Amino acid sequence: MTSALNSFGAIFAFAIDLEAKLRDYYQTAGSADSAGACEKRRANLERVRRENVTEIKLEPIEGLNEADFVLNLADTSETGWRANHSAAARFYEAAAPKINVREAQRALERCAKQHLALTV
Amino acid sequence: MVEKLKQYIGGEWVSSSVAKYTPVTNPATCELLAECPDGGREDVDRAVQAAKAAYEEWRSTPVLSRAQYMFRFKDLLESRFEDLAEMVVKENGKTRDEARGEVRRGIESVDFATSVPSIMRGYKVEDISSGIDETAERQPLGVFAAITPFNFPMMVPLWFLPTAITVGNTFVVKPSPQTPLSMQLVYEIMDELDLPEGVVNLVHGGVEASRAVMEHPDIVGVSFVGSTPVAKIVYETCAKHGKRVQAQGGAKNYIAVMPDADMAASVANIMGSAFGCAGQRCLAGSVVVAVGDAYEPLKAELLKRAASLRVGYGLQETTQMGTVISPAARERIEGMISQGVAEGATPILDGRGKVIEGYEQGSFVGPTILDGVSPEMRVAKDEIFGPVLSIMHARDFDEAVTMINGSRYGNAASIFTRNGKHARDFKYRIRAGNIGINVGVAAATASFPFGGQKESFFGDLHGQGMDAIEFYTDKKILIERWF
Repeated sequence: MTSALNSFGAIFAFAIDLEAKLRDYYQTAGSADSAGACEKRRANLERVRRENVTEIKLEPIEGLNEADFVLNLADTSETGWRANHSAAARFYEAAAPKINVREAQRALERCAKQHLALTV
Repeated sequence: MVEKLKQYIGGEWVSSSVAKYTPVTNPATCELLAECPDGGREDVDRAVQAAKAAYEEWRSTPVLSRAQYMFRFKDLLESRFEDLAEMVVKENGKTRDEARGEVRRGIESVDFATSVPSIMRGYKVEDISSGIDETAERQPLGVFAAITPFNFPMMVPLWFLPTAITVGNTFVVKPSPQTPLSMQLVYEIMDELDLPEGVVNLVHGGVEASRAVMEHPDIVGVSFVGSTPVAKIVYETCAKHGKRVQAQGGAKNYIAVMPDADMAASVANIMGSAFGCAGQRCLAGSVVVAVGDAYEPLKAELLKRAASLRVGYGLQETTQMGTVISPAARERIEGMISQGVAEGATPILDGRGKVIEGYEQGSFVGPTILDGVSPEMRVAKDEIFGPVLSIMHARDFDEAVTMINGSRYGNAASIFTRNGKHARDFKYRIRAGNIGINVGVAAATASFPFGGQKESFFGDLHGQGMDAIEFYTDKKILIERWF
C-alpha cells in the first residue's frame, strides 16, 4: 500500500528511505562509490529535516504520492539503475516546490540535480 | 512492568518520597507509558536544597565554561533528535512534524544560551561625579524553578532552563504530570553533561508540588506556562512569597482575513494555526474573522482544506492532525462545540465523535469549523484548546479590530492581507503580545521575548530573549571612588 506524501516529514521520510534503498542497491551491486554518494545524501537529508522543520510554517501538502516514484531494485542492469535515478530525480523535482522552507527546498533540488546527472 | 519515574535531584535519580503515582498514557493508543510520582513538598525541598547547595560554586564557574555545557548539550540533543520527537508524540499525541518542530525550537533555546557570555554584560559610566565611576553588573540570583504544561513538554522547559543556568543560577523543573517523559529524556541527556551536582533538578508532581515550588523560601523566581486561572494563582502566590514571576496563561487568538488576501495561501497557513497540535497551543488560531467579501471564499476554502486533513496517530508520518491530550480533554472540547451549537453556531465541519480505525479508544477530535459565531457566544470568548475554529463576520477592518480587542485574552492575533496599510494598522492597534502578518502562528524565536498581554500574561518580563536575561539576573550597581 502506498500513501500520500502530505507533509514535510512524509516527504523527507520518503527521501531518506529512497536514498537508503539506493545505497543498499549499490552495495549489493558492488559499487561502493555510488553507495557512498547515496549514504551522503541520506545523512544530509536527515540533517536538513532536523534543522529546517519550521513549526510556524507547517502546512498540509497536496498532490504527491509514493506510488508515482517506485524504484525497481531487482533490476541491476545499467538500464535499471538509470531508471531508478530517473524516478528519484522525478520525485525530488516534484517534491521541492511543495516545501515552503527554502533551505530544505534547496536540498531537494540538489538531490534532483545529482540523480538527473546519473541518468544520462 | 511499567516504569515508575524517578526524580533527578543533586545529580542522581532518586525515588519520590510519596507512594502515590499517576498513569502517563499515550493518548492515541491508550498504552500505559509510565507512572509519574505525585511528588510533594518533601521532594521539592530536596531538589531546592540540592540546587541551593550547588549555587555558589556554579555562579563562580566562568561564564565561558558554563556556556560550553550548552554547546555539548546542543550536540547531544541533536544526536537524540528523533528519539525526543518520538517521545513527544507518544505522550502528547501531536504529529511527528509538530514534535520535530517542538524539539527544534527547544534546541534553539539552547543555541541562545550559548550566546550568554556576549549578552549578559553589564555597563559602566565613568565620572558620574568627579573621580567616581558607576557600573551595573549582572549577577545571577540563586535557585529558579519552572512549572510547565503538557502541550509543549520538551520545548517550554527549555525556554527557561538553559538561559537560567548559563547566567549562573541553579534550576528545578516540574513538568506536567500528563507529559513528564520528554523532560525525563532531556534530563537523561543532561546527565551525560556531567554538570556539577544540583545545578539542574527534576521533580514530578501535580498541584501539591506546584504549591511547594511557589511557596518555597529558597526559590527566588518562577517561570510558568499554563491556563489563565492557574497563571493568576501562580502570579499571586509567588508575589506573596517574594519571588520574581513570569506566568503565561491562556489565549483566544483571532485571525482577520481581508478580502484582498491570497485565499489559498492564507488558508493553508490557517490550517496549521487552527488545527496544528490539535489546537492545543497558546498560539493556536481559534477565531477567524472574515472581513467583508472575504467571508464566502474563506469559508469555502477553510471547509475544503480542513475536511481533507488526515487525522490519526502522530507516529505515522502521513498523519496531519493527532489527538488531544486525554479523554477528559476530548469530552470538554466536544462539550464546548455542543454549547456553541446550542447558542446558535452552525457546525459546517463537526469533529465530535471522531473514531480512528485501529485507535478506537484514542482521544481524537476531528477538525471542527463553527460558522455564524457571534462575540457573546462562549466559543468566541473562552479558550477551547482543541481543534475548533470559529468563523465570525465583520463588515470592515474597524469592526474586526473591535471584535479582536474585545477579547479578554491577548496572546496573539494575525491578519492575512496584501494591504500594507491594514497590516500596519493591525499591528499598531491590536492589543496582543504576538502579531502575525500573513502568519497564523506568530511564535517568537528564541532570541525574542515571548509573552502575551491582558489575561494571557501575568508579570512584566517575558520568556526567552533578552527578557530572559533580565528575569534571571539582577543588575547590581557599583559606585566606586579611589583616594
